[in-house]
Amino acid sequence: MIPDLSVKIGKVKFSNPVLVASGTFGYGEEYGAFFDLNELGSIITKSITLNPREGHLPPRTCETPSGMLNAIGLANVGVKRFIQEKLPFLRNLKTKVIVNVAGSSIDEYVEVVKKLEGKKGIDLLEINISCPNVKQGGITFGSDPKCAYDCIKAVRDNSTYPIIAKLSPNVADIVEIALAVEEAGADAVSLINTLVGMAIDLEKRKPRLSNITGGLSGPAIKPVALAMVWKTAQKVKIPVIGLGGIMNTQDALEFILAGASMIQVGTGNFVDPECSVKIVEGLKEYCQEKKLKRILDLRGKLKIFTAD
Amino acid sequence: MNQRKEQGLLLSVENLGERLFRLKIHSPSISKKALPGNFCHLRVNESYSPLLRRAFSIHQVETEKNSFELLFKVVGPGTQILSEKKTGEKIDLLGPLGNSFSLPAKDENAVLLAGGMGIAPLFYLVSSLLEKKFDPQKISLFFGVRKKDEYLLVNDIVSTGIRLHLATEDGSSGYRGMITELFFQELRARRLKTKRTRFYACGPNLMLKKVSEISRKFKLDCQISLESHMPCGVGACMGCVVNTVKGYKRVCKDGPVFDAREVILD
Repeated sequence: MIPDLSVKIGKVKFSNPVLVASGTFGYGEEYGAFFDLNELGSIITKSITLNPREGHLPPRTCETPSGMLNAIGLANVGVKRFIQEKLPFLRNLKTKVIVNVAGSSIDEYVEVVKKLEGKKGIDLLEINISCPNVKQGGITFGSDPKCAYDCIKAVRDNSTYPIIAKLSPNVADIVEIALAVEEAGADAVSLINTLVGMAIDLEKRKPRLSNITGGLSGPAIKPVALAMVWKTAQKVKIPVIGLGGIMNTQDALEFILAGASMIQVGTGNFVDPECSVKIVEGLKEYCQEKKLKRILDLRGKLKIFTAD
Repeated sequence: MNQRKEQGLLLSVENLGERLFRLKIHSPSISKKALPGNFCHLRVNESYSPLLRRAFSIHQVETEKNSFELLFKVVGPGTQILSEKKTGEKIDLLGPLGNSFSLPAKDENAVLLAGGMGIAPLFYLVSSLLEKKFDPQKISLFFGVRKKDEYLLVNDIVSTGIRLHLATEDGSSGYRGMITELFFQELRARRLKTKRTRFYACGPNLMLKKVSEISRKFKLDCQISLESHMPCGVGACMGCVVNTVKGYKRVCKDGPVFDAREVILD
Protein backbone atom coordinates (compact mmCIF):
# COMPACT_ATOMS: atom_id res chain seq x y z
CA MET A 1 0.00 0.00 0.00
CA ILE A 2 1.35 3.39 -0.99
CA PRO A 3 0.44 5.89 1.73
CA ASP A 4 -1.16 9.18 0.76
CA LEU A 5 1.21 12.02 1.62
CA SER A 6 -0.74 14.69 -0.23
CA VAL A 7 -1.85 17.93 1.39
CA LYS A 8 -3.95 20.82 0.13
CA ILE A 9 -3.62 24.53 0.76
CA GLY A 10 -6.42 26.52 -0.78
CA LYS A 11 -6.96 24.84 -4.14
CA VAL A 12 -3.37 23.72 -4.50
CA LYS A 13 -2.60 20.06 -3.96
CA PHE A 14 0.94 19.09 -2.95
CA SER A 15 2.24 15.56 -3.52
CA ASN A 16 3.76 15.56 -0.03
CA PRO A 17 4.07 17.89 2.97
CA VAL A 18 7.81 18.56 2.71
CA LEU A 19 8.88 22.05 1.66
CA VAL A 20 12.22 23.84 1.71
CA ALA A 21 12.34 27.08 3.67
CA SER A 22 12.82 30.47 2.07
CA GLY A 23 16.40 31.74 2.08
CA THR A 24 17.97 28.32 2.47
CA PHE A 25 17.38 27.03 -1.05
CA GLY A 26 18.21 30.01 -3.29
CA TYR A 27 15.96 29.94 -6.34
CA GLY A 28 16.09 26.16 -6.55
CA GLU A 29 18.83 25.61 -9.12
CA GLU A 30 21.71 25.10 -6.70
CA TYR A 31 20.26 21.97 -5.11
CA GLY A 32 19.13 20.45 -8.41
CA ALA A 33 22.61 18.92 -8.65
CA PHE A 34 21.96 16.79 -5.58
CA PHE A 35 18.52 15.32 -6.12
CA ASP A 36 15.40 15.47 -8.26
CA LEU A 37 13.64 18.61 -7.07
CA ASN A 38 10.32 17.15 -8.20
CA GLU A 39 10.44 14.82 -5.21
CA LEU A 40 9.66 17.79 -2.95
CA GLY A 41 6.20 18.98 -2.03
CA SER A 42 7.30 22.46 -3.02
CA ILE A 43 10.20 24.83 -3.30
CA ILE A 44 9.96 28.19 -1.55
CA THR A 45 12.15 30.87 -3.09
CA LYS A 46 14.35 33.38 -1.35
CA SER A 47 12.38 36.51 -0.32
CA ILE A 48 11.69 38.70 -3.33
CA THR A 49 11.47 42.47 -2.92
CA LEU A 50 10.47 45.16 -5.39
CA ASN A 51 14.04 46.26 -6.13
CA PRO A 52 17.22 44.16 -6.03
CA ARG A 53 18.90 44.16 -2.62
CA GLU A 54 22.64 43.70 -2.06
CA GLY A 55 22.11 42.61 1.54
CA HIS A 56 24.15 43.29 4.65
CA LEU A 57 27.91 43.69 5.01
CA PRO A 58 29.73 40.45 5.77
CA PRO A 59 30.15 38.64 8.13
CA ARG A 60 26.55 37.54 7.64
CA THR A 61 26.50 34.19 9.41
CA CYS A 62 28.04 32.43 12.35
CA GLU A 63 27.63 29.10 14.02
CA THR A 64 26.21 28.80 17.55
CA PRO A 65 25.55 25.73 19.73
CA SER A 66 23.26 23.44 17.68
CA GLY A 67 22.33 26.37 15.49
CA MET A 68 23.43 29.32 13.44
CA LEU A 69 22.78 33.03 13.21
CA ASN A 70 22.21 34.81 9.93
CA ALA A 71 21.75 38.40 8.90
CA ILE A 72 21.75 38.21 5.12
CA GLY A 73 19.60 41.32 4.78
CA LEU A 74 17.15 39.95 2.19
CA ALA A 75 19.77 39.93 -0.57
CA ASN A 76 17.82 39.11 -3.74
CA VAL A 77 17.59 39.93 -7.44
CA GLY A 78 14.35 41.91 -7.18
CA VAL A 79 10.99 40.95 -8.66
CA LYS A 80 11.77 41.95 -12.27
CA ARG A 81 14.92 39.87 -12.60
CA PHE A 82 13.28 37.08 -10.61
CA ILE A 83 10.57 36.78 -13.26
CA GLN A 84 13.04 37.09 -16.15
CA GLU A 85 15.94 35.00 -14.87
CA LYS A 86 14.80 32.67 -12.11
CA LEU A 87 11.21 31.78 -12.86
CA PRO A 88 11.92 29.97 -16.19
CA PHE A 89 13.89 27.31 -14.31
CA LEU A 90 11.22 26.91 -11.63
CA ARG A 91 8.43 26.82 -14.22
CA ASN A 92 9.88 23.69 -15.78
CA LEU A 93 9.70 21.74 -12.54
CA LYS A 94 6.76 19.51 -11.76
CA THR A 95 6.90 20.43 -8.08
CA LYS A 96 4.86 23.36 -6.77
CA VAL A 97 6.55 26.75 -6.55
CA ILE A 98 5.94 29.13 -3.67
CA VAL A 99 7.35 32.63 -4.08
CA ASN A 100 8.29 34.33 -0.83
CA VAL A 101 7.57 38.06 -0.83
CA ALA A 102 9.01 40.75 1.45
CA GLY A 103 8.61 44.49 1.59
CA SER A 104 9.32 47.55 3.68
CA SER A 105 5.82 48.99 3.28
CA ILE A 106 2.38 47.60 2.48
CA ASP A 107 2.64 49.35 -0.89
CA GLU A 108 5.82 47.45 -1.68
CA TYR A 109 4.25 44.08 -0.82
CA VAL A 110 1.30 44.95 -3.02
CA GLU A 111 3.48 46.06 -5.91
CA VAL A 112 5.55 42.87 -5.82
CA VAL A 113 2.44 40.74 -5.60
CA LYS A 114 0.85 42.55 -8.55
CA LYS A 115 3.95 41.94 -10.66
CA LEU A 116 3.81 38.22 -9.80
CA GLU A 117 0.11 37.93 -10.57
CA GLY A 118 -0.74 35.56 -13.40
CA LYS A 119 2.87 34.55 -14.04
CA LYS A 120 3.13 30.98 -15.20
CA GLY A 121 5.07 28.74 -12.84
CA ILE A 122 3.92 30.24 -9.55
CA ASP A 123 1.49 28.24 -7.41
CA LEU A 124 1.36 30.14 -4.11
CA LEU A 125 2.82 33.10 -2.30
CA GLU A 126 4.42 33.09 1.12
CA ILE A 127 4.33 36.55 2.65
CA ASN A 128 7.32 37.23 4.86
CA ILE A 129 6.04 39.46 7.64
CA SER A 130 8.73 38.24 9.98
CA CYS A 131 12.25 39.01 8.80
CA PRO A 132 14.19 40.04 11.90
CA ASN A 133 17.11 41.55 9.98
CA VAL A 134 15.81 44.57 8.12
CA LYS A 135 15.14 47.87 9.80
CA GLN A 136 11.89 48.64 8.08
CA GLY A 137 9.23 46.18 7.15
CA GLY A 138 9.46 42.47 7.62
CA ILE A 139 9.01 41.96 11.29
CA THR A 140 7.21 45.27 11.92
CA PHE A 141 4.26 43.82 10.02
CA GLY A 142 4.50 40.59 11.91
CA SER A 143 4.69 41.84 15.45
CA ASP A 144 1.40 43.67 15.69
CA PRO A 145 -1.92 41.93 14.89
CA LYS A 146 -3.40 45.04 13.25
CA CYS A 147 -0.35 45.57 10.98
CA ALA A 148 -0.25 41.86 10.14
CA TYR A 149 -3.93 41.99 9.25
CA ASP A 150 -3.53 45.10 7.07
CA CYS A 151 -0.56 43.67 5.22
CA ILE A 152 -2.12 40.27 4.48
CA LYS A 153 -5.46 41.89 3.62
CA ALA A 154 -3.79 44.19 1.09
CA VAL A 155 -1.97 41.24 -0.48
CA ARG A 156 -5.19 39.18 -0.48
CA ASP A 157 -7.07 41.93 -2.31
CA ASN A 158 -4.40 42.11 -5.00
CA SER A 159 -3.62 38.48 -5.64
CA THR A 160 -5.46 35.39 -6.75
CA TYR A 161 -2.75 33.01 -5.53
CA PRO A 162 -3.28 31.16 -2.26
CA ILE A 163 -1.36 33.00 0.48
CA ILE A 164 0.76 31.69 3.32
CA ALA A 165 1.68 34.21 6.02
CA LYS A 166 5.10 33.50 7.52
CA LEU A 167 5.08 34.42 11.18
CA SER A 168 7.72 35.60 13.60
CA PRO A 169 8.40 34.01 16.98
CA ASN A 170 9.69 37.36 18.26
CA VAL A 171 6.26 38.39 19.53
CA ALA A 172 4.32 38.29 22.78
CA ASP A 173 1.58 36.03 21.39
CA ILE A 174 1.99 34.31 18.04
CA VAL A 175 -1.56 32.92 18.17
CA GLU A 176 -3.00 36.42 18.12
CA ILE A 177 -1.04 37.21 14.93
CA ALA A 178 -2.08 33.90 13.36
CA LEU A 179 -5.75 34.65 14.05
CA ALA A 180 -5.36 38.14 12.57
CA VAL A 181 -3.89 36.89 9.28
CA GLU A 182 -6.50 34.12 9.08
CA GLU A 183 -9.15 36.82 9.42
CA ALA A 184 -7.39 38.80 6.65
CA GLY A 185 -7.74 35.90 4.26
CA ALA A 186 -4.50 33.93 4.53
CA ASP A 187 -4.87 30.34 3.33
CA ALA A 188 -2.18 29.04 5.70
CA VAL A 189 0.39 30.20 8.23
CA SER A 190 4.02 29.08 8.37
CA LEU A 191 5.97 29.31 11.61
CA ILE A 192 8.47 29.98 12.96
CA ASN A 193 10.86 32.36 11.27
CA THR A 194 14.18 32.81 13.11
CA LEU A 195 14.56 34.06 16.69
CA VAL A 196 16.55 37.23 17.24
CA GLY A 197 19.97 36.31 18.60
CA MET A 198 23.51 37.54 18.98
CA ALA A 199 27.02 36.15 19.27
CA ILE A 200 30.18 37.89 20.43
CA ASP A 201 33.83 37.39 19.57
CA LEU A 202 35.48 37.97 22.94
CA GLU A 203 38.99 38.18 21.50
CA LYS A 204 38.07 41.03 19.17
CA ARG A 205 35.34 42.42 21.46
CA LYS A 206 33.13 42.54 18.41
CA PRO A 207 29.77 41.08 17.48
CA ARG A 208 30.22 38.09 15.18
CA LEU A 209 27.74 39.57 12.68
CA SER A 210 28.15 42.95 11.04
CA ASN A 211 24.44 43.53 11.67
CA ILE A 212 25.14 42.83 15.39
CA THR A 213 22.01 40.72 15.79
CA GLY A 214 20.74 38.02 13.49
CA GLY A 215 18.17 35.26 13.23
CA LEU A 216 18.79 32.01 15.09
CA SER A 217 17.89 28.78 13.30
CA GLY A 218 18.68 25.08 13.50
CA PRO A 219 18.04 22.34 16.07
CA ALA A 220 18.50 24.89 18.88
CA ILE A 221 15.10 26.45 18.13
CA LYS A 222 13.08 23.27 17.55
CA PRO A 223 11.45 23.18 21.03
CA VAL A 224 10.34 26.81 20.64
CA ALA A 225 8.95 26.11 17.19
CA LEU A 226 7.09 22.99 18.34
CA ALA A 227 5.43 24.89 21.19
CA MET A 228 4.33 27.70 18.89
CA VAL A 229 3.01 25.32 16.23
CA TRP A 230 1.12 23.41 18.90
CA LYS A 231 -0.47 26.55 20.36
CA THR A 232 -1.35 28.00 16.96
CA ALA A 233 -2.79 24.78 15.55
CA GLN A 234 -5.23 24.67 18.49
CA LYS A 235 -6.72 28.01 17.48
CA VAL A 236 -6.66 28.53 13.72
CA LYS A 237 -8.75 26.68 11.14
CA ILE A 238 -6.31 27.17 8.24
CA PRO A 239 -3.38 24.76 7.80
CA VAL A 240 -0.26 25.36 9.88
CA ILE A 241 3.12 24.81 8.24
CA GLY A 242 5.77 24.02 10.83
CA LEU A 243 9.45 24.88 10.64
CA GLY A 244 12.33 25.46 13.01
CA GLY A 245 15.21 23.02 13.35
CA ILE A 246 13.75 20.14 11.36
CA MET A 247 16.69 17.90 10.52
CA ASN A 248 15.14 14.47 9.92
CA THR A 249 11.95 12.42 9.63
CA GLN A 250 11.47 12.17 13.36
CA ASP A 251 11.54 15.96 13.72
CA ALA A 252 9.03 16.29 10.87
CA LEU A 253 6.68 13.75 12.48
CA GLU A 254 6.82 15.60 15.79
CA PHE A 255 5.66 18.79 14.07
CA ILE A 256 2.82 16.92 12.37
CA LEU A 257 1.76 15.45 15.72
CA ALA A 258 1.81 18.96 17.17
CA GLY A 259 -0.67 20.02 14.50
CA ALA A 260 1.33 20.96 11.38
CA SER A 261 -0.12 19.96 8.01
CA MET A 262 3.18 20.57 6.26
CA ILE A 263 6.78 21.17 7.27
CA GLN A 264 9.73 23.14 5.95
CA VAL A 265 13.40 22.21 6.05
CA GLY A 266 15.73 25.19 6.38
CA THR A 267 19.12 24.97 8.06
CA GLY A 268 18.88 21.19 7.56
CA ASN A 269 19.55 21.76 3.84
CA PHE A 270 22.98 23.16 4.69
CA VAL A 271 23.92 20.21 6.86
CA ASP A 272 22.69 17.67 4.35
CA PRO A 273 21.54 18.85 0.90
CA GLU A 274 19.41 15.68 0.69
CA CYS A 275 17.75 16.28 4.08
CA SER A 276 14.34 17.28 2.64
CA VAL A 277 14.07 14.44 0.15
CA LYS A 278 15.13 11.92 2.81
CA ILE A 279 12.24 13.17 4.95
CA VAL A 280 9.77 12.56 2.09
CA GLU A 281 11.03 8.98 1.94
CA GLY A 282 11.02 8.69 5.74
CA LEU A 283 7.40 9.82 6.04
CA LYS A 284 6.36 7.21 3.49
CA GLU A 285 8.17 4.49 5.40
CA TYR A 286 6.68 5.61 8.71
CA CYS A 287 3.15 5.48 7.31
CA GLN A 288 3.76 2.00 5.93
CA GLU A 289 5.24 0.77 9.18
CA LYS A 290 2.41 2.25 11.28
CA LYS A 291 -0.24 1.30 8.73
CA LEU A 292 -1.40 4.89 8.24
CA LYS A 293 -3.34 5.45 5.03
CA ARG A 294 -2.74 9.16 5.04
CA ILE A 295 0.00 11.19 6.65
CA LEU A 296 -2.64 13.72 7.70
CA ASP A 297 -4.22 11.05 9.91
CA LEU A 298 -1.39 11.84 12.26
CA ARG A 299 -1.90 15.59 12.29
CA GLY A 300 -2.52 16.97 15.76
CA LYS A 301 -2.80 13.48 17.25
CA LEU A 302 -0.66 14.27 20.24
CA LYS A 303 -1.82 12.32 23.29
CA ILE A 304 -2.21 14.81 26.09
CA PHE A 305 -1.74 13.91 29.77
CA THR A 306 -5.03 13.77 31.62
CA ALA A 307 -5.71 14.54 35.28
CA ASP A 308 -6.30 10.94 36.20
CA MET B 1 21.93 15.25 -12.20
CA ASN B 2 25.49 15.68 -11.11
CA GLN B 3 25.73 13.70 -7.89
CA ARG B 4 28.18 15.47 -5.63
CA LYS B 5 27.55 13.93 -2.22
CA GLU B 6 29.77 11.06 -1.24
CA GLN B 7 30.91 9.03 1.75
CA GLY B 8 34.70 9.29 1.64
CA LEU B 9 36.89 6.75 3.38
CA LEU B 10 39.75 8.06 5.46
CA LEU B 11 42.98 6.43 4.26
CA SER B 12 45.49 8.21 6.50
CA VAL B 13 45.92 10.95 9.09
CA GLU B 14 49.35 12.55 9.44
CA ASN B 15 50.44 15.04 12.02
CA LEU B 16 52.90 17.30 10.17
CA GLY B 17 53.72 19.68 12.99
CA GLU B 18 52.17 21.74 15.72
CA ARG B 19 48.40 21.57 15.07
CA LEU B 20 49.09 20.78 11.39
CA PHE B 21 47.45 17.77 9.79
CA ARG B 22 47.14 16.06 6.44
CA LEU B 23 44.29 13.68 5.65
CA LYS B 24 44.14 11.33 2.69
CA ILE B 25 40.60 10.43 1.69
CA HIS B 26 39.33 7.86 -0.79
CA SER B 27 36.69 9.57 -2.92
CA PRO B 28 36.26 8.60 -6.58
CA SER B 29 33.95 11.50 -7.36
CA ILE B 30 36.19 14.24 -5.96
CA SER B 31 39.45 12.79 -7.24
CA LYS B 32 38.05 12.41 -10.76
CA LYS B 33 36.54 15.87 -11.07
CA ALA B 34 38.70 18.13 -8.89
CA LEU B 35 40.65 21.05 -10.35
CA PRO B 36 43.17 23.25 -8.52
CA GLY B 37 41.23 25.86 -6.56
CA ASN B 38 38.16 23.68 -5.91
CA PHE B 39 37.09 22.90 -2.37
CA CYS B 40 35.09 20.26 -0.56
CA HIS B 41 32.49 20.77 2.14
CA LEU B 42 32.50 18.14 4.84
CA ARG B 43 30.78 17.13 8.04
CA VAL B 44 33.25 16.39 10.80
CA ASN B 45 30.71 14.19 12.60
CA GLU B 46 27.02 13.35 12.62
CA SER B 47 26.09 15.30 15.74
CA TYR B 48 24.83 18.89 15.95
CA SER B 49 28.08 19.98 17.56
CA PRO B 50 29.40 21.39 15.38
CA LEU B 51 26.30 21.73 13.24
CA LEU B 52 27.53 23.07 9.92
CA ARG B 53 29.89 21.68 7.34
CA ARG B 54 33.45 22.90 7.03
CA ALA B 55 35.04 24.00 3.75
CA PHE B 56 38.58 22.90 2.85
CA SER B 57 40.47 23.53 -0.33
CA ILE B 58 41.60 20.41 -2.10
CA HIS B 59 45.31 19.95 -1.52
CA GLN B 60 46.46 17.04 -3.61
CA VAL B 61 44.76 14.53 -5.88
CA GLU B 62 45.84 11.05 -6.90
CA THR B 63 43.38 10.23 -9.63
CA GLU B 64 44.65 6.70 -10.23
CA LYS B 65 44.19 5.91 -6.53
CA ASN B 66 40.80 7.66 -6.33
CA SER B 67 42.04 9.73 -3.43
CA PHE B 68 42.66 13.34 -2.49
CA GLU B 69 44.28 15.16 0.41
CA LEU B 70 43.36 17.94 2.79
CA LEU B 71 45.88 20.05 4.65
CA PHE B 72 44.71 22.01 7.67
CA LYS B 73 45.57 23.58 10.97
CA VAL B 74 43.53 22.90 14.09
CA VAL B 75 41.82 26.23 14.83
CA GLY B 76 38.56 25.24 16.52
CA PRO B 77 36.30 22.36 17.54
CA GLY B 78 35.60 21.28 13.92
CA THR B 79 39.22 20.91 12.88
CA GLN B 80 40.01 19.36 16.29
CA ILE B 81 37.49 16.55 15.67
CA LEU B 82 38.80 16.08 12.15
CA SER B 83 42.38 15.77 13.40
CA GLU B 84 41.34 12.99 15.81
CA LYS B 85 39.77 10.85 13.08
CA LYS B 86 41.09 7.36 12.55
CA THR B 87 41.99 5.57 9.33
CA GLY B 88 38.98 3.68 8.02
CA GLU B 89 36.37 6.19 9.22
CA LYS B 90 33.78 7.52 6.79
CA ILE B 91 33.59 11.22 5.97
CA ASP B 92 30.46 12.84 4.53
CA LEU B 93 31.69 14.96 1.60
CA LEU B 94 30.30 17.40 -0.93
CA GLY B 95 32.53 18.32 -3.79
CA PRO B 96 34.37 19.31 -5.74
CA LEU B 97 32.73 22.72 -5.30
CA GLY B 98 33.47 26.26 -6.45
CA ASN B 99 35.47 27.55 -9.39
CA SER B 100 39.13 26.81 -10.09
CA PHE B 101 42.32 28.64 -11.01
CA SER B 102 42.68 29.65 -14.61
CA LEU B 103 45.99 28.08 -15.69
CA PRO B 104 48.88 29.83 -17.46
CA ALA B 105 49.63 29.07 -21.09
CA LYS B 106 52.83 27.10 -21.84
CA ASP B 107 54.79 30.25 -22.74
CA GLU B 108 53.69 32.17 -19.64
CA ASN B 109 55.21 32.31 -16.15
CA ALA B 110 53.45 31.49 -12.92
CA VAL B 111 54.17 33.29 -9.65
CA LEU B 112 52.49 31.92 -6.53
CA LEU B 113 52.19 33.54 -3.13
CA ALA B 114 51.31 31.33 -0.16
CA GLY B 115 50.77 32.53 3.39
CA GLY B 116 50.74 29.71 5.96
CA MET B 117 48.00 27.22 5.17
CA GLY B 118 47.48 29.04 1.87
CA ILE B 119 50.03 26.56 0.55
CA ALA B 120 47.27 23.91 0.45
CA PRO B 121 45.57 24.80 -2.86
CA LEU B 122 48.73 26.34 -4.36
CA PHE B 123 50.77 23.18 -4.02
CA TYR B 124 47.98 21.40 -5.87
CA LEU B 125 48.29 24.04 -8.58
CA VAL B 126 52.06 23.47 -8.80
CA SER B 127 51.72 19.67 -9.09
CA SER B 128 48.99 20.04 -11.61
CA LEU B 129 51.14 22.35 -13.79
CA LEU B 130 54.13 20.02 -13.56
CA GLU B 131 51.93 17.10 -14.53
CA LYS B 132 51.03 19.07 -17.65
CA LYS B 133 54.79 19.33 -18.37
CA PHE B 134 54.97 22.99 -17.44
CA ASP B 135 58.64 24.07 -17.09
CA PRO B 136 59.38 24.19 -13.32
CA GLN B 137 61.81 27.06 -13.87
CA LYS B 138 58.87 29.18 -15.03
CA ILE B 139 57.14 28.73 -11.67
CA SER B 140 58.11 30.85 -8.65
CA LEU B 141 56.66 30.28 -5.21
CA PHE B 142 56.78 32.91 -2.47
CA PHE B 143 56.03 31.09 0.76
CA GLY B 144 55.65 32.94 4.05
CA VAL B 145 55.02 31.64 7.56
CA ARG B 146 55.35 33.10 11.06
CA LYS B 147 58.28 30.96 12.16
CA LYS B 148 60.54 28.29 10.69
CA ASP B 149 58.79 25.27 12.21
CA GLU B 150 55.54 26.21 10.44
CA TYR B 151 57.14 25.40 7.10
CA LEU B 152 55.23 22.61 5.50
CA LEU B 153 56.17 20.51 2.53
CA VAL B 154 59.37 22.47 1.91
CA ASN B 155 61.21 19.29 0.88
CA ASP B 156 58.41 18.35 -1.48
CA ILE B 157 58.48 21.85 -2.93
CA VAL B 158 62.27 21.87 -3.38
CA SER B 159 62.18 18.51 -5.16
CA THR B 160 59.86 19.92 -7.82
CA GLY B 161 62.62 22.21 -9.03
CA ILE B 162 60.51 25.38 -8.99
CA ARG B 163 61.97 28.71 -7.84
CA LEU B 164 61.37 29.21 -4.14
CA HIS B 165 61.42 32.39 -2.02
CA LEU B 166 60.95 31.89 1.71
CA ALA B 167 60.06 34.39 4.39
CA THR B 168 59.40 34.12 8.11
CA GLU B 169 57.93 36.86 10.25
CA ASP B 170 60.49 36.21 13.00
CA GLY B 171 63.42 35.88 10.58
CA SER B 172 64.18 32.30 11.64
CA SER B 173 64.51 31.31 7.98
CA GLY B 174 64.74 33.20 4.70
CA TYR B 175 63.60 36.80 4.41
CA ARG B 176 62.60 38.41 7.70
CA GLY B 177 59.12 39.87 7.41
CA MET B 178 55.89 39.41 5.54
CA ILE B 179 55.91 37.48 2.28
CA THR B 180 54.06 40.37 0.61
CA GLU B 181 56.97 42.71 1.49
CA LEU B 182 59.46 40.39 -0.16
CA PHE B 183 57.17 40.07 -3.15
CA PHE B 184 56.76 43.84 -3.39
CA GLN B 185 60.54 44.36 -3.26
CA GLU B 186 61.10 41.82 -6.03
CA LEU B 187 58.46 43.51 -8.16
CA ARG B 188 59.81 47.01 -7.52
CA ALA B 189 63.37 45.91 -8.34
CA ARG B 190 61.98 44.44 -11.57
CA ARG B 191 63.35 41.02 -10.71
CA LEU B 192 59.93 39.56 -11.51
CA LYS B 193 58.45 39.75 -14.94
CA THR B 194 54.89 41.00 -14.92
CA LYS B 195 54.16 40.60 -18.63
CA ARG B 196 53.01 37.14 -19.72
CA THR B 197 52.93 36.14 -16.08
CA ARG B 198 50.00 34.78 -14.07
CA PHE B 199 49.96 35.44 -10.35
CA TYR B 200 48.18 33.31 -7.74
CA ALA B 201 47.78 33.87 -4.02
CA CYS B 202 46.21 32.21 -1.01
CA GLY B 203 46.58 32.98 2.67
CA PRO B 204 45.14 35.06 5.51
CA ASN B 205 42.80 37.92 4.54
CA LEU B 206 45.28 40.56 5.64
CA MET B 207 47.90 39.17 3.26
CA LEU B 208 45.38 38.90 0.42
CA LYS B 209 44.35 42.48 0.99
CA LYS B 210 47.99 43.50 0.40
CA VAL B 211 48.19 41.26 -2.67
CA SER B 212 45.05 42.87 -3.97
CA GLU B 213 46.53 46.38 -3.52
CA ILE B 214 49.81 45.34 -5.16
CA SER B 215 47.92 43.73 -8.05
CA ARG B 216 46.03 46.93 -8.72
CA LYS B 217 49.19 49.03 -8.46
CA PHE B 218 51.28 46.84 -10.80
CA LYS B 219 48.30 45.76 -12.93
CA LEU B 220 48.98 42.10 -12.23
CA ASP B 221 46.89 39.30 -13.66
CA CYS B 222 46.40 37.81 -10.22
CA GLN B 223 43.95 35.26 -8.89
CA ILE B 224 43.35 34.88 -5.18
CA SER B 225 41.62 32.06 -3.37
CA LEU B 226 39.43 33.23 -0.48
CA GLU B 227 38.19 31.62 2.67
CA SER B 228 34.81 32.32 4.31
CA HIS B 229 32.27 30.78 6.66
CA MET B 230 30.02 28.88 4.30
CA PRO B 231 26.73 27.57 5.65
CA CYS B 232 25.54 25.93 2.40
CA GLY B 233 28.67 25.81 0.22
CA VAL B 234 26.61 25.55 -2.96
CA GLY B 235 25.51 29.14 -3.63
CA ALA B 236 22.08 29.08 -2.03
CA CYS B 237 22.27 30.99 1.26
CA MET B 238 24.24 34.16 0.38
CA GLY B 239 26.01 33.85 3.73
CA CYS B 240 29.65 33.75 2.60
CA VAL B 241 29.79 36.82 0.36
CA VAL B 242 32.82 39.04 -0.28
CA ASN B 243 32.64 42.60 -1.51
CA THR B 244 33.95 43.25 -5.02
CA VAL B 245 33.90 46.10 -7.53
CA LYS B 246 30.92 44.26 -9.06
CA GLY B 247 29.02 44.02 -5.75
CA TYR B 248 28.81 41.13 -3.31
CA LYS B 249 29.89 37.78 -4.69
CA ARG B 250 29.43 34.32 -3.15
CA VAL B 251 32.80 32.87 -2.15
CA CYS B 252 31.41 29.32 -2.47
CA LYS B 253 29.88 29.61 -5.93
CA ASP B 254 31.32 32.68 -7.72
CA GLY B 255 34.68 31.84 -6.06
CA PRO B 256 36.63 30.82 -4.10
CA VAL B 257 39.02 32.08 -6.80
CA PHE B 258 38.65 35.78 -7.64
CA ASP B 259 40.55 38.39 -9.62
CA ALA B 260 42.71 40.15 -7.00
CA ARG B 261 42.05 43.52 -8.62
CA GLU B 262 38.29 43.17 -8.19
CA VAL B 263 38.04 42.05 -4.57
CA ILE B 264 37.56 44.63 -1.82
CA LEU B 265 38.85 43.18 1.45
CA ASP B 266 38.83 44.95 4.79
